[in-house]
Amino acid sequence: MAIISKPPLSPIGMQIMLWALPALLVLAYVLPFAGVALRSVTRPAPGLENYVRIVASPDLRMILYRTVLICGVSTILTVPLAYILAYYWVMGRAVTSRLMEICIFLPFWISVLVRAFGWMVILRNNGLASDLATFLGLPAEMLATGRSANSVVIGMVHFMVPFAVLPMASVMRKIDHRVLLAANGLGAAAPYVFWRVFLPMSAPGIYSALSVSFILSLGFFVTPMVLGGGRVTMIAEAVFVQMFQTANWGLGSALGIILMLFVLAVLWLVRSVVKLDQSVSR
Amino acid sequence: MNRNLTDDCLDLLQSQHAAGRIDRRTFLVGLALLGGASAIGGRFAQAADKQLVVTNWGGDAVDAFQKALTGTYASERAVDVKINGSGPTKGAMKAQFESGAVSWDVCDADPGATKSLGELGMIEPIDYGVVDRDQVQPGFAYEFSVANYFLSYVIAYDAKKFGDNPPTSWADFWDVEKFPGKRSLYKWMSGCMEAALLADGVPADKLYPLDEDRAIRKLEALKPHVLSYWDSGAESQQLMRDGEVSMALMWHTRANLVEQDTGGDVRWTYAQGILAPSGWAVIKGNPSGRAAAMDFISYCQDPQRQIELLRALGCGAANPKAHDLVPADLKPLDCSSAENVARQVLMDMDWYAARSDKALDKYLAMIAS
Repeated sequence: MAIISKPPLSPIGMQIMLWALPALLVLAYVLPFAGVALRSVTRPAPGLENYVRIVASPDLRMILYRTVLICGVSTILTVPLAYILAYYWVMGRAVTSRLMEICIFLPFWISVLVRAFGWMVILRNNGLASDLATFLGLPAEMLATGRSANSVVIGMVHFMVPFAVLPMASVMRKIDHRVLLAANGLGAAAPYVFWRVFLPMSAPGIYSALSVSFILSLGFFVTPMVLGGGRVTMIAEAVFVQMFQTANWGLGSALGIILMLFVLAVLWLVRSVVKLDQSVSR
Repeated sequence: MNRNLTDDCLDLLQSQHAAGRIDRRTFLVGLALLGGASAIGGRFAQAADKQLVVTNWGGDAVDAFQKALTGTYASERAVDVKINGSGPTKGAMKAQFESGAVSWDVCDADPGATKSLGELGMIEPIDYGVVDRDQVQPGFAYEFSVANYFLSYVIAYDAKKFGDNPPTSWADFWDVEKFPGKRSLYKWMSGCMEAALLADGVPADKLYPLDEDRAIRKLEALKPHVLSYWDSGAESQQLMRDGEVSMALMWHTRANLVEQDTGGDVRWTYAQGILAPSGWAVIKGNPSGRAAAMDFISYCQDPQRQIELLRALGCGAANPKAHDLVPADLKPLDCSSAENVARQVLMDMDWYAARSDKALDKYLAMIAS
């Protein structure tokens, strides 16, 4: 092969290769981001007007509050579900494990828009869920959540589960099975082994699943639009409205910056918790 | 145009490479440079062949424009016409202008949004030396846009429930006792404020300037009965077709499609419909230049082409000379004909130009609270 016969890169070549990545980062991320940050304090006039408006406006505060609430609830539902799936995927017998794998990854490959419409067909007022409820003799509203915040949460959880499974599964794979056997050999019953040994050892996976899910959920756009009946406005949609509908780029940028501060705050929080957890367990 | 040039250069690079005149590395460098050039923007564009980019709202409208307007224009004028369906929202048009690399020649845009951008110097005034004012419904030849077709925000209803005693006003739409069932309104406000005020008893000729707070209060009262604030025309069709709501404020074009789909189980009425124009607009610095854009706009004024668009998309003609030529089966869809206009209320785009941003913020806050 031609590639093998080529001489290794010269020192200058190495330098260029090394600097390519930060250069790309600056061009593709830092510069546009600086533009957004600048816009948020210069449009329509220089100053913090946009941020003041966000803090002062009950409507925008409501959107922020709703975003955090819906994302919090979806994350809290996603992580335990994903934990169970990850557990059986990693620890289960071959057949279970394979089945879990299919259940986790099949939806993973379907677009978020298709999934949102799929849930719409199921959850809408006279859809599959209400038919099922009628068949079971339950009130239709019990299963058919219609176009509402509840449906948005269902759609979001469904989307996020695979993302939460992956970090937890990778931590679970690294757990030394001999430790579990040892606990068992010392007389601990299976639930006790899980509770006192497996769960604490898999905790780092839970923390990263929590942060991945929450951060991912903050940016949801399509799912609330489709399943919320136009009423469940979250921050991503609020940014869209200011950018495209009212062309108020300053306010849109400020909302974007606030979204990013949220993300940074979550990352910082998770890091602190993990550090604390490590220092306690040592 | 820019894409054309890029394609050209690509072909050239590829043939050079295939013929062994340039080595693989040079070929790759060339590719990278081309990528960079197209990212920098359409400045090369002016140099390339004749091309015209028409931007509309996508979906069925792409094929309809192609069939009624751009297909024949392309062959008659030897211009390569591309239809971009990404939607010329106010923000998107502003972004085109501010980037300094405008890639759209003619936009099928909202006359209110166009006017407010025009006042900021971002839109070319329509050249009424080329575009014929007499071929536009009186009152709809604006400074920064010219009506290209009309659509109406109408009441669509479940005819299985209300067929014997159909709703005839927005007051009926608001009356959930007499007309039980859920409702659907438009997420992006147009038409909804007017509907609310008409339902609240404001006379049609005293509608503008809209009393925003009164409209919001009236909309708030209906909110518990609104199942969904639809975002796309297709969504409004689905809500009616599946019987999720018993009445919806819809575009008459979409209402007509549901009526056909359901074999008449869903019907609609022009009663108190809110008739709105769409308009051709040209962003300053458009790639083909102002003259080429105006030529296309005037080409589309032809009555027969307006009827073709009516046939393909169901929207009303903007040229008053077209109405008499509309075949009988299409007359009910021609929302801007005198007999249909008589039943409707005209939307005032000047109000939208001045107030729509602030009012939309209020409206969205109301539906999301």
